[in-house]
Amino acid sequence: MNEIGRPARWLYGMLIALVLLFVYLPMMTLVMASFSRSKFFKFPIPQFATNWYADVFASLSIRSFFWTSLVIALLVATIATVLAFFGALAFARYRWAGRKLYQKVLLLPILFPQAVLGLALLLWFSAIGVTPSWQAAVFAHLVWIAPITTLVIAIQVYSFDPAMEEAAVDLGATRWQTLKEVTLPILTPGIVSGFLSAFLLSWANFPLSMFSTGADQTIPEWISAKIQSGYTPQVPAVGTLTMLAAVIVMALGGFAAWLHARRRAGLA
Amino acid sequence: MVTTEAEARAAQPILQLRAIEKVFDQFAAVDRITLDIQEGEFFTIVGPSGSGKTTMVRMLVGMDKPTRGDILLRGQRINDVPANKRPTCMVFQSLALFPHRTVGQNIEFPLKIRGVDPAARKKRALELLAQLRLPDHYYGKAVTQCSGGERQRVALARALAFDPEILFFDEPLSALDYKLRKVLEKELKDIHRQTGKTFVYITHSLEEAMVMSDRIGVMNRGRFVQVGTPNEIYGSPTTRFVSEFMGEVNILDVTVGPDGTATDDVTGARYLVPPSAGAGPCSLVIRPESLRFVDGPSQAHNVVTGTVYNEYLLGSRVQYQIRVGEKQVLLLENLRDQRYEGDLDSPVTVGWDTGDSMIFPKGPLQ
Repeated sequence: MNEIGRPARWLYGMLIALVLLFVYLPMMTLVMASFSRSKFFKFPIPQFATNWYADVFASLSIRSFFWTSLVIALLVATIATVLAFFGALAFARYRWAGRKLYQKVLLLPILFPQAVLGLALLLWFSAIGVTPSWQAAVFAHLVWIAPITTLVIAIQVYSFDPAMEEAAVDLGATRWQTLKEVTLPILTPGIVSGFLSAFLLSWANFPLSMFSTGADQTIPEWISAKIQSGYTPQVPAVGTLTMLAAVIVMALGGFAAWLHARRRAGLA
Repeated sequence: MVTTEAEARAAQPILQLRAIEKVFDQFAAVDRITLDIQEGEFFTIVGPSGSGKTTMVRMLVGMDKPTRGDILLRGQRINDVPANKRPTCMVFQSLALFPHRTVGQNIEFPLKIRGVDPAARKKRALELLAQLRLPDHYYGKAVTQCSGGERQRVALARALAFDPEILFFDEPLSALDYKLRKVLEKELKDIHRQTGKTFVYITHSLEEAMVMSDRIGVMNRGRFVQVGTPNEIYGSPTTRFVSEFMGEVNILDVTVGPDGTATDDVTGARYLVPPSAGAGPCSLVIRPESLRFVDGPSQAHNVVTGTVYNEYLLGSRVQYQIRVGEKQVLLLENLRDQRYEGDLDSPVTVGWDTGDSMIFPKGPLQ
């Protein structure tokens, strides 16, 4: 069949190793920089230290940026998921006049350069008299993230047999009971991955936040500002912590998926 | 004559269709169908894909509304009653089992919706498992872990848990292999007897319909071509479409003359045919099992000479392909113990009696 020969397998291994190196080495550098005592990054690291982390945890301003980022990401993920759930049903499940147009219009914001989208939103906010703030940033993030979340959930909706909803109604369920007992539980994996991806995209977003947060600041904005003026190894420390947070969120998602698969297989 | 209320009730059909019609973009998928279905009947709607049978059953269960016409359940008009308010339910083609639920939870679904308490629900689910010959421990099994036949039984159990007045089936066996289908057809007929409920079944297989039904309605292009008992449909089909739908048949294009005999359009041979509605171009239909090997013209009303080209063994039966001239091929079927002894390609005479053939005038409604 499709046996891979020994030289080919060796090449394959090399390629994968190179890709992994290419992707993860810069991040390792970031982690190492955060543990270096010296203010400027040298390799090999002369002396390891955790003092920059201590500074980060002690800093009240970083703490407030963290909360701003977290609140924005949680709000964006929640609102985007609710919008996307119904949007995905309209996208993938129901046939209606204008569905094709809706599918295309929905995808457009994803394709706009984010800086342009951010600028457009800023102009729009000033036109309608909204002062840029973290609340405005929630809206700005939603414009870009809600369509992506819709796509993530729509993938799950496509694999959903519409006959299941019809069967529930046929067996006496009301629309609400059908949603609660059948549609929602079956789409849960898609909803969870939609929520997680929305959270992570908002958590890491810089261009849209830059244009829309005004006086408020998120972690990515703080990192960018610090790199331009006043670099300290607090920056890689915060970067490492931000990455860690994202990894934890993804690990939680993976764990939930594993639990779900186990339950469905009837093992628990 | 005095009729009691019970007799009047028994005499009234459980389901009446009054000229129902479903139009999509000016195309009538279901075209003015009128039909009565009796209490306790096993009625099968059979037709090729696109004949309108699924559209029809979707209106009967309440998932679509007829464009025109009325649906009456025990005399009450139910056109505008939504599916979840009708005392009927359906076993879907895809079965539509809930993958996030166990077998037991699937069966209990209609009872849960109705607010039946968990203990009573479980009791009923276990009864249904037993009735459908599934072991008790399947109660906690994931439906995704069940085989095709088991899933069929779970879907049927879920529908029976609803306790419908009419149970509809939309080709639930079509995805299964032949052997399992044969087993489940018979089980379904048993369940019909045990429950005494009205079953309305949809299939594209007339063979399947024959095995199970009390009455069959053969559908084509949105209309019933023939409605009758399996015996009537098999024994006296009213159109060429119905006769062909049953399975392999020989169809000869003939022209019926004023004297009542038919001339074969291909070979020019003359046949004695049953009395036909009119003269002119007709289809002469002969079932393979009505055709037999004969020694001479005296042994059958009609005889033709040809050569045996192929032999097909079908278990208890055997079929022969007989070539007549250059262009005509006939199929002859015998029991296995009446096998043809001669060589292939040797000349043979085959014949049939007039009463074993059917003649249908050619027309738009075939």
